[in-house]
Amino acid sequence: MSESWLPAFVAAARSVGLNYGFLLNAFERAAWIDGVVVSIELSALGIVSSLIVGMVIAAALTSGRPYLDRPARAFVELVRNTPTLVQIFCAFFVVNMLISQALGGPQNNPLTAYAWVVIVLSLHYGAYHAEALRAGIEAVPRAMRESAVSLGFSRREILTHVELPLAVRFAWPSLVNNMVDLVKATSLGSAIAVGEVTYASLMIWVNGDNVLELMIFILLVYAALTLLVAGLGTLVENRLRMPGYGQ
Amino acid sequence: MSESNASPERPPLVRLSQVHLSFGSNHVLKGIDLRVRQGDAVSIIGPSGSGKSTILRCINGLLTPERGEVVVGGTPVHSLRTEAERIALRKRIGFVFQQYNLFPHLTVLQNIVLAPTRILGLERETAEREARELLAKVRLADKDDAYPGQLSGGQQQRVAIARALAMRPDLVLFDEVTSALDPETVGEVLSVIRQLVEDGMTCLLVTHEMRFAEEVSHEIVFTEGGEIVEHGTPRDIFHAPRNPRTHAFINALRN
Repeated sequence: MSESWLPAFVAAARSVGLNYGFLLNAFERAAWIDGVVVSIELSALGIVSSLIVGMVIAAALTSGRPYLDRPARAFVELVRNTPTLVQIFCAFFVVNMLISQALGGPQNNPLTAYAWVVIVLSLHYGAYHAEALRAGIEAVPRAMRESAVSLGFSRREILTHVELPLAVRFAWPSLVNNMVDLVKATSLGSAIAVGEVTYASLMIWVNGDNVLELMIFILLVYAALTLLVAGLGTLVENRLRMPGYGQ
Repeated sequence: MSESNASPERPPLVRLSQVHLSFGSNHVLKGIDLRVRQGDAVSIIGPSGSGKSTILRCINGLLTPERGEVVVGGTPVHSLRTEAERIALRKRIGFVFQQYNLFPHLTVLQNIVLAPTRILGLERETAEREARELLAKVRLADKDDAYPGQLSGGQQQRVAIARALAMRPDLVLFDEVTSALDPETVGEVLSVIRQLVEDGMTCLLVTHEMRFAEEVSHEIVFTEGGEIVEHGTPRDIFHAPRNPRTHAFINALRN
């Protein structure tokens, strides 16, 4: 379907000095489009699982139980105080290797580099989500909690029916911020050869003189993805709005 | 009204004996004795900081006294230890707060059905039907889809009362429920409570609405400084107080 306009686009780009010839090479074009798809997948999987991780850690942080909140706090500090790239290296080259050894060889290890990127980004941004959600949970008025207790709700029911729904609303702008950041951080997958759009581009420009051209494409892909996430964030924010609250 | 229900033989639904409680060095309750019989409305009056709200919180187990006994319908509240035991108690006790404390992310109807469906395990249909009946009772039948933030204070407080009643409680505790309201909406909340009392619901109220307390209560309890100074029929307390402190408090309000 794209065959008719692609050569026209490539010719037009060439006339302004940009070399998009790789688009006419079926193999390179497919690899690059695959890269875009992988970036979208990593973003989507990362956003969903980081939110789940964030809620679990936030619940632990606000549980008031030392055996839950201390490990959660230690985890958050560890994550915040080490570079994401180092975390990915550490997960893939150290933890993954240890798992392979324990399972008797890499052929028995189901975890791929792709999986490790999702895991590390989920845990990393989960820690940031957790701090935003903790702020939200702590912003729930004490009296609100007291009224839920008086109705007969358990600690867990208050968390799921009252505290988290309100905390998500209070924390939502921060959560969207983190999600936008997560989308950009999927590019770190290129460091362990996960074929997302940055890595796919890199594989193309090492064979050709088209770094600038691919950089422009990369920029557009990430801009589109982050704007999409921010836009969906605003949609959700409007859905979550509590009519009349705080007025 | 105080005469009609005043048969002393009826057993108390709520009994507090020598209840003591401190917050740090602040001795808030200094030996409270209180009885509320089934079907009675009892109002606790007294100056701010006299421990009125604290008494209510000891009855539903939000606070645990250091000494003394709190018994509600045979349940020794003072010796409950587990969350499950306290939940079993709280299911039977409605609590209405000064600040309404409705859940702002849920509609009026959702606010009312949340606890009955989650805690009592009622079918959603049953819970919603009962919720609508309660909304009609508090004269807010048309507000089921509104959010708390869209209602006036008086309307929110009536929803809060409906939410407490949806748990089919044996007893409802009212903690200064009109103190945060505009004067013109106080009346609509009081008339809902008056109706409840007439229907025979056991009510324990902490209130500054003296005229209302005098009108609906079977018994008035006057607290000051963490003690019950005097209790008796509304006529006795408001018109013939025996204790000089009660006298001073009532007189100060009159002027």
